[in-house]
Amino acid sequence: MTDKPVIKLENVTKVYSLPTDDVIALDNINLDIMKGEFVAIMGTSGSGKSTLLNQIGCLDVPTSGNLYIDGRNVRDLNDNELTDLRRDKIGYIFQNFNLIPLLDLSENVEYPMLLKNKKRDETGYPKKLLEMVGLDETRIRHRPNEISGGQRQRVAIARALVNDPTILLCDEPTGNLDSKTSAQIMDMISGLNREGRTVVMVTHEPFIAKYAERTIVMEDGRIVS
Amino acid sequence: MIFGDIFLELSIRNVRLNFLRSLLAAIGIVIGVVAITSIGIMGANMTLSVTAELSESGNVIMITPDSSGGGGGGFPGGMGGGSSSDDEDEYIDKTQLRKIKQIATSGDNLVVPLYTTSENIDVSGQEGRATIYGIDINLVPDLVEVEEGSMPLSTAGVLVGSTLAERYDLKVGSRIQVGDEEVEDDDDIPQFTVRVTGILEEKGMSSDLNTDSAIVMDESLYTGHFGGEYEYDQVNIIAGDINDIKQLEEDLDYALNYREDEVLIQDSGSMLERISETLGTMTSFMSAIGAISLLVAAVSIFNVMMMSVTERVKEIGILRSIGTRRSEVRKMFLYESMLLGVIGAGIGAVASFIGGYILTYGMIGTTEYFFMPESLVYIPMGMFTGIVICILSGVYPAYRASCLDPIEALRAE
Repeated sequence: MTDKPVIKLENVTKVYSLPTDDVIALDNINLDIMKGEFVAIMGTSGSGKSTLLNQIGCLDVPTSGNLYIDGRNVRDLNDNELTDLRRDKIGYIFQNFNLIPLLDLSENVEYPMLLKNKKRDETGYPKKLLEMVGLDETRIRHRPNEISGGQRQRVAIARALVNDPTILLCDEPTGNLDSKTSAQIMDMISGLNREGRTVVMVTHEPFIAKYAERTIVMEDGRIVS
Repeated sequence: MIFGDIFLELSIRNVRLNFLRSLLAAIGIVIGVVAITSIGIMGANMTLSVTAELSESGNVIMITPDSSGGGGGGFPGGMGGGSSSDDEDEYIDKTQLRKIKQIATSGDNLVVPLYTTSENIDVSGQEGRATIYGIDINLVPDLVEVEEGSMPLSTAGVLVGSTLAERYDLKVGSRIQVGDEEVEDDDDIPQFTVRVTGILEEKGMSSDLNTDSAIVMDESLYTGHFGGEYEYDQVNIIAGDINDIKQLEEDLDYALNYREDEVLIQDSGSMLERISETLGTMTSFMSAIGAISLLVAAVSIFNVMMMSVTERVKEIGILRSIGTRRSEVRKMFLYESMLLGVIGAGIGAVASFIGGYILTYGMIGTTEYFFMPESLVYIPMGMFTGIVICILSGVYPAYRASCLDPIEALRAE
């Protein structure tokens, strides 16, 4: 971990305008996450933790305030630049795995690499990543619906790592897994953090949050501790 | 991965996944492509067929009395039975013929004055009607070949066209009763008998002389029975050099129509042009009707693409969240609509080839011109139209897919 914030939020507010009312999902958030840090975000349902993760993941932009990812203010970026930032700097691990059903496991992992390099991989890197997360060669031509939840999350981790991102965002990564598989996945994520990657994880389970170095608790769109 | 393009691969896999739905949508395109292509091919074959037949007489100038206005042709008042044209006051007289000959004989041209009418005939009790031509019999060998028999030697000898001979089972030596059995008014021609001395070879459609269903007799025999000597219905000039036609027409027009329009001067080339234009317009009109089916298919493709977008909202969210640009999402859906177009147009092209061949044979009776570029060009044109329509049908669904908010899309079930 270094003292340089790789993620910096300055007075970030996110307001959703609904026909009936405006909903403040994030209320004046200030947060620095250092390079190599492992941060868990906790809070009750509707507290704003997923909204915060979406802001950091550049899936959305703040209504006001500034959000810096690796030194770049996301409010200054257009849609293509935000997409490229997401592709190159951020690896996303979802609770529902979110693998592409039309592609096999190897292609799922290779996909972000193809987007970045605009050509097919010839190094065998996606296959190596799948082996690293514990999936052998016999599985790589399977479709996502042909493997278990734990295996799907391993594929999602491999996919998140394929472009060698500096930030890993995990949205309830063990939410759909049994306790034994959850522990294996969390060990894997901790290992990636130890390799130097910044990890930001949303969870509502305290024992999962214990893997993180720092835990942020949110309530009504604010950081309370 | 096809051409290393992951989006094309995703589109192909999605088409495969929803094979039946995609196939049904593509069938609409097949029908549309077949409709416009087959009609186009048939129209092209019709034009080519007519053009080929008419262009054989492309060096002919036809001079006919102008019945539209002006002073009419020649001098009024047909003699006796009069000229056998529909309007008895319209004919080309001796003076006009002399002028024509003066102009036309300056080059290597052949002037053929002719009489023509349509008259009742009776062949061994089989009654009907036929075109009768009265021509200086010495000129006939320059106009059409005798396939069987010989040129008339006696005054009652005639030549008959091949179609007429077939229809009435006429042979060399057969007798034909020409005219009306009972003469009731001045228009009726007393019946007379002619003998077939020769059968002409098939000439096909022609703008100057259609002998296939006609009886050709010497002009003296003709005027002897129909009257109207030197009151010609038409004068044909067969130009020795096709490049002289325009100049000849101008000279003739100046000589014959300098006071008022007395004659119509047409060459078979301009008639050919008009016929081709008319056939082209007819083909375009029929193709436009066929194109309605292509529009229906476009609606079907649009519907399928909208369904595809709706079903894949979650997938779009995933793609966007892991770094897929809006333009790349658009590309993926446009590929899909293009694929439907390529499949539909491909099957349509094969079906059009077969359908066009059958239609052409059925409507025109020959496929002689089917493999000519002017005919087959409708296949790539039809394919191109089908594919373009499919891609256009996919533009809005693709745009809608690319505009989806990734967070909203990820939440979709």
